[in-house]
Amino acid sequence: MADAVLAPEESRSPSGAGRLPRLLWTALRVAAPVGSVLALWYLAIWFSGLPAFVIPLPTRVLEALWVDHAFIFDNLLYTLQVAGIGYLWANIAGIGLAVLFDLLPPTRHLLMPAAITLRNVPYIALISVLVLAFGDTIASKSAIVALAGFFPVLVNTMQGLRAADDVQLDRMRILNAGWWQTFSRVRLIYALPAIVAAQEITGSSSIIVAIAAEWMISTTGLGYVINHAMQNYRGDQVYAVALVATGLSFLVYSLVHALGRRLDWRAGDPRRG
Amino acid sequence: MAAISIRNVSRRFGDTWALRPVDLEIADGEFVALVGPSGCGKTTLLRIVADLQAPTGGEVRIGPDPAAEARRKRLIGLVSQRPAVLPWKRAIDDVRFTQKIAGRVGFDPAKVLREFGLEGHEGKRARELSGGMLQRVNIASAMAHDPSVLLMDEPFAALDEMKREEIGAWFDRELALRPKTVLFVTHHIDEAVMLADRLVVFSAAPGRVLEVVAVPEPRPRAPAFRQDPRFVALAGHVRALLIDRAEAA
Repeated sequence: MADAVLAPEESRSPSGAGRLPRLLWTALRVAAPVGSVLALWYLAIWFSGLPAFVIPLPTRVLEALWVDHAFIFDNLLYTLQVAGIGYLWANIAGIGLAVLFDLLPPTRHLLMPAAITLRNVPYIALISVLVLAFGDTIASKSAIVALAGFFPVLVNTMQGLRAADDVQLDRMRILNAGWWQTFSRVRLIYALPAIVAAQEITGSSSIIVAIAAEWMISTTGLGYVINHAMQNYRGDQVYAVALVATGLSFLVYSLVHALGRRLDWRAGDPRRG
Repeated sequence: MAAISIRNVSRRFGDTWALRPVDLEIADGEFVALVGPSGCGKTTLLRIVADLQAPTGGEVRIGPDPAAEARRKRLIGLVSQRPAVLPWKRAIDDVRFTQKIAGRVGFDPAKVLREFGLEGHEGKRARELSGGMLQRVNIASAMAHDPSVLLMDEPFAALDEMKREEIGAWFDRELALRPKTVLFVTHHIDEAVMLADRLVVFSAAPGRVLEVVAVPEPRPRAPAFRQDPRFVALAGHVRALLIDRAEAA
């Protein structure tokens, strides 16, 4: 999408003469979304007539972010821990199961129904059980993050592992390559684009799910900050946390996306738009 | 001893014969083309020789070894119609990849790619190469571990007619430099007569051998051989075998 927006710009200004328009264009690309969100925000304040603790002024939110930054930052670190551990386990389980299913196909028939069932149990019920089992700990919350995130990784990895071309597999067989050689040198690389696509989903949703889990059960983390702020009618703090969480999810998404482009062997192929 | 011996090899899918029992002995350094209409079982036979598919009956030996053992010893090279070059590898690295997996270096990849007319293209990836160049890389990769037999499944079918003749002539000259026993599947009669020492002509499905036609002309062959009365007579004979059968059926 971003490439499509940039493309005409690049073709229009190959020389130094086009530098100023390019700078203006970049500034506009940043300013336009920020400006439109702010404009909607002010419009909502003026026309809704809602009290300031429901829709605070943007300046008030920034002030809360500045004044409470130590408190928010400490809790942010905790949330990152929950999200990070959960994300890691989502990948260990997702990729691990996909590889197991590939290596021992009967295990797929045994375990896939369980994975689908687990995927469809309401998370609230799962959280309750996990809190009963582990209490209010990092383990219980990261388990929720892992449960919410492993399924896209599993499904995409399974699909990706089937993406290798038959002629490549014949080639490996003719060379008497073992399972691991064929897997690591051919099939895994074919699967990378699909695995990266799963990370874009699981990576950014890990933060959101971690906050949701903290909101329900925790006494630390950004979810807890939201709870705490609500009880004290601190709408500004809720918005500040939302701002941080959104920024963080976006950052994770962008990082994964950028990393994905580096790992994707199809990148730079002119036949791919 | 024959380089490849195919003894009473057949393949059935349920009640349907894909390949009626075939017997064929291929001498060391010989180039044998399997010719026939689509679906006659020639690719099935090639895959059985490659140990990529099991026969319903019969046995294949490569030299003294059963096909499975020959594959384990990496004595087979396979060239498919769609190139098996890995899309993320540069041409030269793809050739090295074969040698690394096989654990055997048949030749110097840089030198061979130069000989194959790919000088200056060694660092390119599949998508940056033309169809003809890519098929040359594919052949280089298939031969890189110095297999004793080369199995080729319609390797030039995706190329246009002129490219096809050009790459065929090039491959003929290459084989003179690095002799290999070749089993070559094609449905292109002229290509088979131009390249092969013998043509094994298959009937339409279920495939069985109609006739084995020898081409008594030393290889490599000059392009002028195409206009030679013997070429025209041989190609005409094979065409008649296939077309008469098809019309009778």
